[in-house]
Amino acid sequence: MKDFMEIEAKTIDEAIEKACREYALPREKLNIEIISEGSGGFLGILSKRAKIRASVLSIDMDISGPFHEMPRSVSKDIPVETQDVNDIDIDMAETSRKMIEGILSRMGFPFPVSIKESDEYILLNIKGDGSGILIGKGGQTLDALQYIVNKALNKNGKERKRIILDTENYREKREKSLVTLARKLGEKAKRIKKPVTVNPMNAHDRRIIHLALQNDKELVTKSKGEGAFRKIIIVPNKKG
Amino acid sequence: MKELIKYIAQALVDHPEQVDVSEVIGEQTSVIELRVTKDDLGKVIGKQGKTAKAMRTILSAASSKLNKRAVLEIIE
Repeated sequence: MKDFMEIEAKTIDEAIEKACREYALPREKLNIEIISEGSGGFLGILSKRAKIRASVLSIDMDISGPFHEMPRSVSKDIPVETQDVNDIDIDMAETSRKMIEGILSRMGFPFPVSIKESDEYILLNIKGDGSGILIGKGGQTLDALQYIVNKALNKNGKERKRIILDTENYREKREKSLVTLARKLGEKAKRIKKPVTVNPMNAHDRRIIHLALQNDKELVTKSKGEGAFRKIIIVPNKKG
Repeated sequence: MKELIKYIAQALVDHPEQVDVSEVIGEQTSVIELRVTKDDLGKVIGKQGKTAKAMRTILSAASSKLNKRAVLEIIE
């Protein structure tokens, strides 16, 4: 058996499934490294296939290892720190970190989390195992975790900081690919002299697209649609 | 999985002591039933079901690790 194999598929999930089949091993016995994340492509262009590198986890790297090293107290029932939330002196960053670690250990991913704090936000970085399972398709798992932590910590309505969750540098990579996409679609709009519609995206992703094109005087960006279906339209300026 | 949903739900609601989670374990699929008080129902569902959707996404990531499926039911 080869040391590793590179597998391409339409999505990362599909590629991982393929890898499991090739090795005839369950997902947790494989070491999966994501080489490129596929994207469905927009209007048929830019479609990228997902690519992963899979190898068999060596036996001494038992997956149960890190889990048992976790202090028992973390994975057992900790009462949720509701009493702390009303405390004036609570450290929001530390509370959010405890919360996300609590969720992760119950998901079976006892990964360490580090904090970076600024005046506007708290950045929690999860040191993942490189499998991308915490990121999910289009970042949906990471966004869901981020949403829950923000909801839980901001529930008593006081002015609070935004919590941003990141793992394996995903946010930066996503931003870069969105900026590239925005420029490509912007060029297309200029070339065909017609508005170009971008797939529906969440508010954060749309903001990146708007910002990427705001200095381009030949283009105007607008949003259209409601809720989860809200999408950006890139319109070439009439003069152009 | 039960503990995961209980932990998340308790963090979201105003009355964590009234959160009750039960799990019906099947061979492939488990059903997780979440009960909260009436006042907290909106907190676990969220605007346009966004919170419920986020919990289901987290649940499916956790159960896919075990090669299983889990369904979250919020019960009134």
